[in-house]
Amino acid sequence: MTAPVLALRNVTKSFGPIEILHGVNFDLRPGEVHALIGENGAGKSTTMKILSGYLDATTGTVELDGQLARFANSDAAEAAGIVMIHQEFNLAEHLSVEQNVFLGREIRRGLLLDHKTMQKRTAELLARLDCRVSPTARVSTISVPDKQMVEIAKALSRKVRVLIMDEPTAVLTESETEVLFEQINRLRVEGCAILYTSHKLGEVKRIADRVTVLRDGSVVASGPIDEFTEDTMATAMVGRELSDLFPPKRRGGGEVVLEAADIHVPGHVSHASLTLRRGEILGIGGLIGAGRTELVEAIAGLRPRTGRVTLFGKELPAASVAEATRRGLVYLTEDRKGAGLLLEKGMRENLTLPMLSAFGRPLISRRKEEEALTRAIQDFQIRAGGRGIAVGNMSGGNQQKLLLAKTMLPDPQIVIIDEPTRGIDIGTKQQIYDLIHRLASEGRSIIVISSEMPELIGLADRVLVMHAGRVSGEVSGEDVNERAIVRLAMGLGEGSKETAA
Amino acid sequence: MSTATTDSPKSAGWSIDLRVLGPILALLALVALGMFLNPNFLSYANITNVLARSAFIGIVAVGMTFVITAGGLDLSVGSMAAFIAGLMILVMNALIPVMGAGVGIILVGMLVAIVAGLIAGAINGLLVAKIGIEAFIVTLGTMGIYRSLVTWLADGGTLSLDFAMREIYRPVYYGGIMGISWPIIVFAVIAILGEIVMRHTAFGRHCAAIGSNETVARYSSVNVARVRTLTFIGLGLLVGIAVIMYVPRLGSASASTGVLWELEAIAAVIIGGTMLKGGFGRIWGTVVGVLILSLIGNILNLTDMVSPYLNGAIQGVIIILAVVLQRKRSNSR
Amino acid sequence: MTKMLIATTALVGVLAAPVAAQTIGVSIPAATHGWAGALNFHAEQTIRELGERYPDLQFVLTTTPDPSTQVSDLEDMVATRNIDALVVLPFESEPLTDPVRRIKESGVWTTVVDRGLAQDGIEDLYVAGDNTSFGRTAGEYFAQTLSEGDKIVVIRGIASTIDNERVAGFQEAIEGSGIEVLAMEHGNFNRDDAFTVMQDYLSRFGEIDAVWAADDDQAMGALAAIEQSGRQDEMWVVGGAGMKEMVQRIQQGDPQIPVNVTYPPSMISTAIELTALHFMTSAPITGEFIIASELITPENAENFYFENSPY
Repeated sequence: MTAPVLALRNVTKSFGPIEILHGVNFDLRPGEVHALIGENGAGKSTTMKILSGYLDATTGTVELDGQLARFANSDAAEAAGIVMIHQEFNLAEHLSVEQNVFLGREIRRGLLLDHKTMQKRTAELLARLDCRVSPTARVSTISVPDKQMVEIAKALSRKVRVLIMDEPTAVLTESETEVLFEQINRLRVEGCAILYTSHKLGEVKRIADRVTVLRDGSVVASGPIDEFTEDTMATAMVGRELSDLFPPKRRGGGEVVLEAADIHVPGHVSHASLTLRRGEILGIGGLIGAGRTELVEAIAGLRPRTGRVTLFGKELPAASVAEATRRGLVYLTEDRKGAGLLLEKGMRENLTLPMLSAFGRPLISRRKEEEALTRAIQDFQIRAGGRGIAVGNMSGGNQQKLLLAKTMLPDPQIVIIDEPTRGIDIGTKQQIYDLIHRLASEGRSIIVISSEMPELIGLADRVLVMHAGRVSGEVSGEDVNERAIVRLAMGLGEGSKETAA
Repeated sequence: MSTATTDSPKSAGWSIDLRVLGPILALLALVALGMFLNPNFLSYANITNVLARSAFIGIVAVGMTFVITAGGLDLSVGSMAAFIAGLMILVMNALIPVMGAGVGIILVGMLVAIVAGLIAGAINGLLVAKIGIEAFIVTLGTMGIYRSLVTWLADGGTLSLDFAMREIYRPVYYGGIMGISWPIIVFAVIAILGEIVMRHTAFGRHCAAIGSNETVARYSSVNVARVRTLTFIGLGLLVGIAVIMYVPRLGSASASTGVLWELEAIAAVIIGGTMLKGGFGRIWGTVVGVLILSLIGNILNLTDMVSPYLNGAIQGVIIILAVVLQRKRSNSR
Repeated sequence: MTKMLIATTALVGVLAAPVAAQTIGVSIPAATHGWAGALNFHAEQTIRELGERYPDLQFVLTTTPDPSTQVSDLEDMVATRNIDALVVLPFESEPLTDPVRRIKESGVWTTVVDRGLAQDGIEDLYVAGDNTSFGRTAGEYFAQTLSEGDKIVVIRGIASTIDNERVAGFQEAIEGSGIEVLAMEHGNFNRDDAFTVMQDYLSRFGEIDAVWAADDDQAMGALAAIEQSGRQDEMWVVGGAGMKEMVQRIQQGDPQIPVNVTYPPSMISTAIELTALHFMTSAPITGEFIIASELITPENAENFYFENSPY
């Protein structure tokens, strides 16, 4: 076994009086992918930040090539070849791809910037990553997976020895994940040490050489990947046996409650139709960018559209969120932080925002709001540091539960959930799946959009698949399987019966 | 974001208290300084003067707090005030031959001010919220427009209210009940109503939500365009009310009326702890901010402590200090 | 000043002769306060009259809100309107000196009004009021009327050369009279600011015998504050520049406003007319025309009342 390039020795980390890492040992070796897994709040991010110089250890040491290392800041760590790719990208949205890749380390010729060389180098890096984005494209105009690739290109543009990736695949589709894995393999062969975190244990099993499991700030298991199965990893993370992730399916299918016909969203969706029955869970699959989110946002009144939406037998006017909410249709966004929650506000303000008029008019009753929050905390098992905590300081899982509580506040009959478990640990995932089932068995109708194939297959009674802005097909019952969905998502509709559109 | 859970559950608690205290401490320090420098500072007449002259900016600043909280800005209020004042005087003077000098004309004048304020606010609001132009640009434009319009109405000079009307209208600024003058009463009532609307109504909550994250608000079925337009209309209305109190003071309006009111109102709002980028606003803070600004001028006039050339510098230092005081604490998180 | 105008008008009748079309550029500050408003009024009126009288004369009038805009305006005039003469009231002396000199050197006949340039001898003609005389005239009235130990307060204008000259003239005139100046603060030639300053003076000082407000807009604000305090009988106020309303009250013998001091905005008319005459006649017109401030009293007030002026 080679000597570790970067290692933590007995590291603890405290914020104020609270110690949140307890004596962590961790090795990163050249040519090895080391997966760090754990539930939200287990201390993964803190560990990564200590490794990459964003935080200092409270006690214990960081060793670089066996020598005691002390990085003044992340720049010092980067100078030593340690680069971290954040989950929320560190990209300047209004600059071009090339400007981002060389941000802060621009190549100059005399006093002026050498745009030509930088563009050429960027193009080379992107080509290595199989990414077809133009170096001159503005970052704000490129897709989320492409942004991920730009982040990686940025890392590659330095002499990177250690690459730390915080949930890189959370925003990628399966095919994009494949591209990423190829790059990881390439870097591994080149002798780069890679730290990889993910909630997707199947991926971990595939890509990692070694796994370390964190729970509540301590290492509970660590070893070569061969010693673990997905189940043992999950059990180690959660600290208890996980029953079957998905509750048993039940047959939905009362009367039609929602019917969308010939929906057209300029630039995103054309001629899409769907129907939804009472008590049914309808899945929508497809690649990122296939128009899934745009379709349901148009139905929910969040985007301008043409076409006809009929809700409980009556037509729903376009572009009116308030009207849709009032008539019992709600949408839970995939963009929790950008469109779902006010991060600097507390739970109470977030919970009641869509329904303030129900809490007293003209004056809001603070007491009623607090009661609603108490109920939500119970019903949705939200665990936050305190009731007054800013939502941005809560873990992703608890944010998602709060967002669910907020979405469910108007007591809707139809709930559209976009990526219900993105960036959420496995224990919380299970709670959310249970909840979705409970809602359906109460007679509500659910639409779930997901890029995670097992989620679609495990949850949905029927799956609608989109490709390039159109509904490319639909599978139901026994036909709901990975192969059929992938074929439709890639636009190869023949393998399955086409019912929609 | 899994670290965020771990590293900051403790932050919220004690820092808030100091953010609250910042502007109040600055205000108390100024009052103490004033008392120390001049025994007349706490006299009934001086207190009344300071509060009454704060009323115009104060009334406007209450409306400005809503606009800023919802992520907007209005640079046009000073010019708008001058224009409305000019319009009001012209209408009232024109009506004297028709209606005869009397209370009726004043009521018509007040109605003109309020309607003009509502319309001017609605123009700003619709351009910002419905057409989607930046508030800064829209109101920079209307600022220039109203300023030119009043200059044009006054033919470059001063529009003066007829003397007969002035005598009837005077008590609206100089009069009062139980020794408290009308501008102070109106300012207080508006501030209290504003505080209630900001803290305890859906409208106030929606303003904060929009300023905090417009997309989240839209996804939470808040009618963003409507709320945003309403903040500008509300501000226009309050400018109208401020003008109603302003005109009886000097009975005139000119191109120099209301100059820099917009900046004073914005400064008061920010000193009071409202965030310039929106998302959080508090009316009582704005009231404190207005009083701080007025007191600085008052104290400088009451003493020969510094050269009058440096008045602006002193004001600038105190404004920055008042904000630093609260930001320093809140940055500790 | 009035006399001179009559004289020149007479000249016109005799010597007017057809000449090739000429363009005169006029650049003055925008009407942001009363006096400047009157300046604009007089400028426009004069241009209209001269335009009718001399069809061969073209005029270009620009009003500017600040010195740098004025520089741009002047550049535009030369570049696009090809002016033959320039009448300019510099917003400020220093920043305008060089641009005006360059225009003069390019062969444009130049008249500078009121605010002198920082360098002597650039312009062909200089028409100005006299700020020192403005302050001195008021100060002399104070010195004559008040006695030793009487207390006054002063409201100054916007901190500027004009303000400094006026105050210097005033202080020179009251020197040795034993009048005590309690305080001097800036009212910025603005009614609202002057109102506030006066309110605070009234809180601060138990005894005030007179107020020199240095400008009629400021005097209006001060008068309102005094009325509010009910101390009208205690003090009188002298403003300046001959605002219509003030002249009227002097005429009526208002004890609160005994006198006023002229600083006629119509000096712009004089400047434009003289510049026009340079082209339309053969009379030699160069040098300086300084218009001293005069004291307006109830006796002579009717000579200073202009019905149509907005000021």
